[in-house]
Amino acid sequence: MSGELLRLACGGLHPDRVRSLLATHGTAQRTVAAIQRGKVKVNDRVRAAIDVSAAERRKELARLGAACILPRQAGYPERLAMLPDAPTLLFVRGSIPSQPAVAVVGTRKCTSYGRRLATAYGTAIAEAGWVLVSGLARGIDGAAHRGTVNAGGKGVAVLGCGLDVAYPREHAGLADSLLEGEGAVVSEYPPGTPPEAWRFPPRNRVISGLSQAVVVVEAGVKGGALITAATALEQGVPVFAVPGDVGRDTSRGTNLLIRDGAHPVLDPDDLLEALSLVLGPRRSTRAVLTGSDDVTALIGPGASLDEIAARARLSPGETVALVGRWVAEGSAGWEGSSVVPVSRRHTTDR
Amino acid sequence: MLGSVTSVAIVGVEPRPITVEAHVSNADRELFSIVGLPDTAVREAKERVRSALAGSGYRFPRRRVVINLSPADLPKAGAAYDLPIALAVLLADDQMRAPEGGLVALGELALDGEVRSVRGGLAAAMVARRLGRQCFLPAGPAAEASVLRGVDVRSVDCLRNAALGKVEPPDTTTGPIPEPESRVRSVDSPVHDLAEVRGQLLARRALEIAAAGGHHLLLSGAPGAGKTMLAQCLPGLLPRLDPEEELEVALAWAAAGRRRTDRCVRPFRSPHHSATLAALVGGGSGVPVPGEVTLANHGVLFLDELGEFPIHLLDALRQPVEAGAVSIARKGASVDFPSRFQLVAATNPCPCGFTGDRLTQCECTERGRKRYRRRLSGPLLDRIDLRVSVARLMPDEFIGPRGESTNAVRSRVVAARKRQRQRGVLNRDLRAVELRDMRWTEAATALLNQSVESQALTARGWNRVRRVAVTVADLAESPTIEEPHVAEALALRADL
Repeated sequence: MSGELLRLACGGLHPDRVRSLLATHGTAQRTVAAIQRGKVKVNDRVRAAIDVSAAERRKELARLGAACILPRQAGYPERLAMLPDAPTLLFVRGSIPSQPAVAVVGTRKCTSYGRRLATAYGTAIAEAGWVLVSGLARGIDGAAHRGTVNAGGKGVAVLGCGLDVAYPREHAGLADSLLEGEGAVVSEYPPGTPPEAWRFPPRNRVISGLSQAVVVVEAGVKGGALITAATALEQGVPVFAVPGDVGRDTSRGTNLLIRDGAHPVLDPDDLLEALSLVLGPRRSTRAVLTGSDDVTALIGPGASLDEIAARARLSPGETVALVGRWVAEGSAGWEGSSVVPVSRRHTTDR
Repeated sequence: MLGSVTSVAIVGVEPRPITVEAHVSNADRELFSIVGLPDTAVREAKERVRSALAGSGYRFPRRRVVINLSPADLPKAGAAYDLPIALAVLLADDQMRAPEGGLVALGELALDGEVRSVRGGLAAAMVARRLGRQCFLPAGPAAEASVLRGVDVRSVDCLRNAALGKVEPPDTTTGPIPEPESRVRSVDSPVHDLAEVRGQLLARRALEIAAAGGHHLLLSGAPGAGKTMLAQCLPGLLPRLDPEEELEVALAWAAAGRRRTDRCVRPFRSPHHSATLAALVGGGSGVPVPGEVTLANHGVLFLDELGEFPIHLLDALRQPVEAGAVSIARKGASVDFPSRFQLVAATNPCPCGFTGDRLTQCECTERGRKRYRRRLSGPLLDRIDLRVSVARLMPDEFIGPRGESTNAVRSRVVAARKRQRQRGVLNRDLRAVELRDMRWTEAATALLNQSVESQALTARGWNRVRRVAVTVADLAESPTIEEPHVAEALALRADL
């Protein structure tokens, strides 16, 4: 790869600007030369960034354990490379898995309804042997990633900032877990790029571009999740949306998508059914609960203590102790006053 | 010529004897002076005493009269020293025969010599008992003080009868006596029976354990789940006050100018979150007055909507919760108020309150929920061993069978408390060293270790769970702490 292309990509310009400069000047060498001669006006920060040598940039990437990949180079996802506005360069930590990929996205300001579903979808997608793509944001994105990590699946996080920038800070651990699980963290922005609002919409075309289907869990009428749905439609990627209350702000966007033709999805099984039409048959999986098998039998999706006591015919003290053991072994937890199963499942090929 | 009568001042909740000395001497000019840190009301006693003596057929000595209230450094307030001042003057002027063994008196005088009701009857009787003296009180306070055994309390109606020794034993048959001040109202908690609570297995069990070990309790649940009703069940589950505790409670309430009607039920106080700092922990100008934490001494302090309480109030609760007493320093006096209450806090799980609810979907954003939870966390929450969620009942559960009654549960609680008394410490107050020396079975320790590994238990939660496990074992009358006891404790500390 030419050093000039790396220098240009590290300048911090908007992806559209980089593409149009390359189109005008033909090659990266000529573009960089034009910037240096002052023929192309850029601000001082960008000029200073472009002046840094390619060797210096490569050293920096090596320090982060990151690689930069050109379209049509090995490791650059084919489908993404085919887009007219494909990123000129992709910075990658880990390696992008080759299995079919599904994006699960949604609002940062999610409700517990969306959070629960996003986690469940993340788990279901991992168990089906597919790859989960999302944006590592707070709310739905993080919940979906977490579902994948819990199930030991592979995931790709597409960032709107540099690979070395922990944003949001509380998801730094989640990114590490993705890498441990043979997933990847991806960005078209060079290391050190701060999370600026204008960098996030372009990032969404990468999320949909990496995926064969996009699932929107919760979204307002404005916001990144609907942008992702729009780029998916442009790219010919099927869009799925989770219905919600008509009056609730966090479901207006998804309900609108359904009205406009998105495929509505219900529980995780329903999602897998629908996705298998797009992605081909899912891997047959067997879920193994780490805890005692009577957990699911007794509580199903969730139950109050009174219900558990009635089903198990136990005294109040015994019922509370039973739940305590589940909590201790991590097979169940509290959601409010309900006991819910904690999905700590590993998938095994049958 | 000297005359002396003992009276009482309340410092904090503690009665202190005040010696009222009168000295009458010949002088060129008439003089009537009161020394010994009197406030305005005490200084005005001059006029009331002068008129009351005249109105009762005595004469006020036309000489030099000096009244000394000792100890001189203790601030004295109110009209309650009228009667002792008048009696001391009569004694000093030889118009009255000195009673044998001395006298304790308290009461306000009307201008015609009638004795009016004041606060502090119980305190005066306690001082009289300590000194082995007779105690003259207005009718109301005398009835209040009659609960105290081993002291000769007499009810006086007017100054003349007091001076002549025409005093009667207090009349306790006429029922509740009107309070001396109109702002004082009788505060009785509505105490529910546990049998009225349907379903709520988790919360009922948590209440039983809280009552048995004295653990502080946090109830979290949707609006309308019945958190308040559950909290109101707690006083009934606790053992009745023993005579010593009863006296402490009565003194604290008397110091606050309040009166309890059912004396042996534990107090239940539920201050609103708009309460002031002084109302909550005690304070006020001059001599501090006890606050809600002291009124709840030996009882239950219920904080509804914990998240709505301002941070400074929650911080102020730390000392009373940790030390069982709160010290208030003022220019006039620095006092310690007892505050060994059991804390029951109720909160919504999130701003809208419906997290985990079975009927209504929670619509809070993650950020809102986080902010709400952050308000609840902190040092106060750290002291709360038991945290449970309360579910709203499904429609069919309203007609379910009635639960176990308060009396049935209380008998188990009393037995568990007895075991703790033998050990000498309430389970709530068990320290890490004491917990370590308990007898834990191997399986119990293994379960604790397992829950640390599965991250169900943090270092902070470690001791809380062990304290609760000890109480569960006490309820089961088990000498060792076994695996089921730990398991139960683990389920009862859901982190909100």
